[in-house]
Amino acid sequence: MSDYIIALFLGVFFGLLLQKAGLTKYHKIVNVFRLTDFTVLKFMMTALIVSMTGLYSLKWLGIITFPNVPATYIAGNVIGGLIFGVGMAITGY
Amino acid sequence: MKVLITQFRKEEWSPYIAGALLGLVGILAVFLSDNLLGASGAFENIAGLIGQAVAPEAFDNVYFNYVMPPGITWGVVLMVGVFFGGMLGAKSSRTWKLRMISDEQWKVVFGNKWWKRWLIAFVGAIILEYGAGIAGGCTSGLAISGGMLLAPAAFLFIAGMFASGIITAWLVYGRRF
Repeated sequence: MSDYIIALFLGVFFGLLLQKAGLTKYHKIVNVFRLTDFTVLKFMMTALIVSMTGLYSLKWLGIITFPNVPATYIAGNVIGGLIFGVGMAITGY
Repeated sequence: MKVLITQFRKEEWSPYIAGALLGLVGILAVFLSDNLLGASGAFENIAGLIGQAVAPEAFDNVYFNYVMPPGITWGVVLMVGVFFGGMLGAKSSRTWKLRMISDEQWKVVFGNKWWKRWLIAFVGAIILEYGAGIAGGCTSGLAISGGMLLAPAAFLFIAGMFASGIITAWLVYGRRF
């Protein structure tokens, strides 16, 4: 139960940040693929750097263990990514 | 304090600030409940739940039994939070509004017909969710959450997503605006 409360709480932050970064807007998503607006990349890469550093530090300090790391299937990940990109570029979500 | 409130009410934050805060949310998700942020999985959990109620035989397969078990999962609750979080964001900057077409740029490219926007979004979303299903996640669940654990899958996915996204955008929009 408490896990659900955490999920709800983190979800609110997640949604708030996506909205405030402008990633709920069609033109922000589409324009990153048109190479005219790099908000999506700035947002994604900053999030990656912060969370990567934090998680690996916490793991090194022995505070957390990693959850299941998404499995790597080279063909699946690449083909899935290719199909996903088409959808993302035409919906703008 | 007042400065913070003014900042909070701004419609658009610096993507670096928002991104850094999302990074912290990602860390908290692992720290507090040993879960990863993700969006596309929640759809499959719900779809599976409905599917098993309506057509149990069609949904009795490896994918729904083992890969993506149906149910009200952590990710589903997270998405409920995202809905309200997004609303809070728009409300706080007083830009919250119901629209049939949400974006001016879309109107420039495709015109004013709202059903066209909905139809293209519907078809595109099917493609998008299908891709996410094959890859094992979406922008948040695989690219960001996988990337922060340095999973190779995430970087393969990001490469694929941008390669086809750029090509698609070029084919569909070209120099149209």
